[in-house]
Amino acid sequence: MADKEFEPKIIGFFCNWCTYAGADLAGVSRLQYPPNIRVIRVMCSGTVSPHHVLRAFQKGADGVLIGGCHIGDCHYLRGNFMTIKRMRFLQDLLKFTGYEDGRLHLEWISAAEGPKFAQVVRDYTEKIKQLGPSRLKRAAQAA
Amino acid sequence: MEKLREKVRKLLADGKVAGYVGYIFKDGHPLPHLFTKERLEEVDRAIVAPGDARYPLDKLLEQLAARFPEAAFAVQVRGCDERGLNELYKWGQLDPEKVVMVGVACPQDQADYCECPGPWASVIDYGEKCAPVTQSKRVARIDALAGEEAFKEWQAHFARCVKCYGCRDICPMCFCKECSLEHADLIGTGIVPPDTTFQLVRAIHMAGRCIDCGLCEENCPADIPLRVLYKKGNALVQALFDYDTGSPAAGPSPWKFLGDEATLETKPM
Repeated sequence: MADKEFEPKIIGFFCNWCTYAGADLAGVSRLQYPPNIRVIRVMCSGTVSPHHVLRAFQKGADGVLIGGCHIGDCHYLRGNFMTIKRMRFLQDLLKFTGYEDGRLHLEWISAAEGPKFAQVVRDYTEKIKQLGPSRLKRAAQAA
Repeated sequence: MEKLREKVRKLLADGKVAGYVGYIFKDGHPLPHLFTKERLEEVDRAIVAPGDARYPLDKLLEQLAARFPEAAFAVQVRGCDERGLNELYKWGQLDPEKVVMVGVACPQDQADYCECPGPWASVIDYGEKCAPVTQSKRVARIDALAGEEAFKEWQAHFARCVKCYGCRDICPMCFCKECSLEHADLIGTGIVPPDTTFQLVRAIHMAGRCIDCGLCEENCPADIPLRVLYKKGNALVQALFDYDTGSPAAGPSPWKFLGDEATLETKPM
């Protein structure tokens, strides 16, 4: 078991109009990216509540990746203004309570950015692999 | 104290307010009390409660105002209570036209204990202004910890939680009828201690809303340093959105509107 490479669980919240479509484009373009990410499609990244992120960590996620439209491209015009407010605040609050930087990441990926989508998922999976299992999960396993 | 009592007597006698929410000294205890015109003699026993016998008067006022929406009430306020009134006006829970403040300035030892940035009300009927505490040493200590230590410390605190909801129930700013902390899909049920995200969910709700009265922490049977968490939340809201919680000049809460432009940028991976 010890020499088995750590395979993180990453939860992705992707907006229907941009990042999810970008993921589709990456798929039909047959771009390769690691299967560690579990995607939840939401209508707008602005609908992702900090509760959902905390719930993901509570349930054993090693990382949470939020994907939304670029600022100015939101299908609902300004939904992602709220996304960045909430997630920047949550990132800083998580850091204060001892979560590593990067456990929660926000990235703007448009429907046309299939290659960027694949690259972000590759990079993020690699980053979480380096960070290792979440402290919450390690504490639960030690108990 | 006589100055405060005189003001209350006058307010009640003139019929400016239907009642005064303050403290009475009764049977050897300072207790929250509703003073009315009908029992004006009780005002002789009206007091300013000592710092360790505080109650959420804002919350009592909210309940009164909900039952008697046409009536105006006077209420004893410290600096924190007044910040609370300002936030409650903004969130539509109280009508500023129907509230008269009887202000108190906290003594220095109280301000130091609370690390209070504004330990007096804008009207002072009792006490003298003291020096505010602008930086919280308790928050700074956690900020200085390495991630692993901070995590261990918080987890040890959260593990003592008995999920009594005391922090929420005493909070003058917790007025929602439905509470995320009781939402079975967000917080696991049937376990004590609850999910370690329990306190974080509350911390999110308190950001830009917590008036730093400290009653949650005093009320907590498990001595969880909730105040440190909420102080940090407010400091973040100040840093990110330039929102000074409880200030009448602060404008609407950043969580209430989208904004005309996105002023923040995503963090690099």
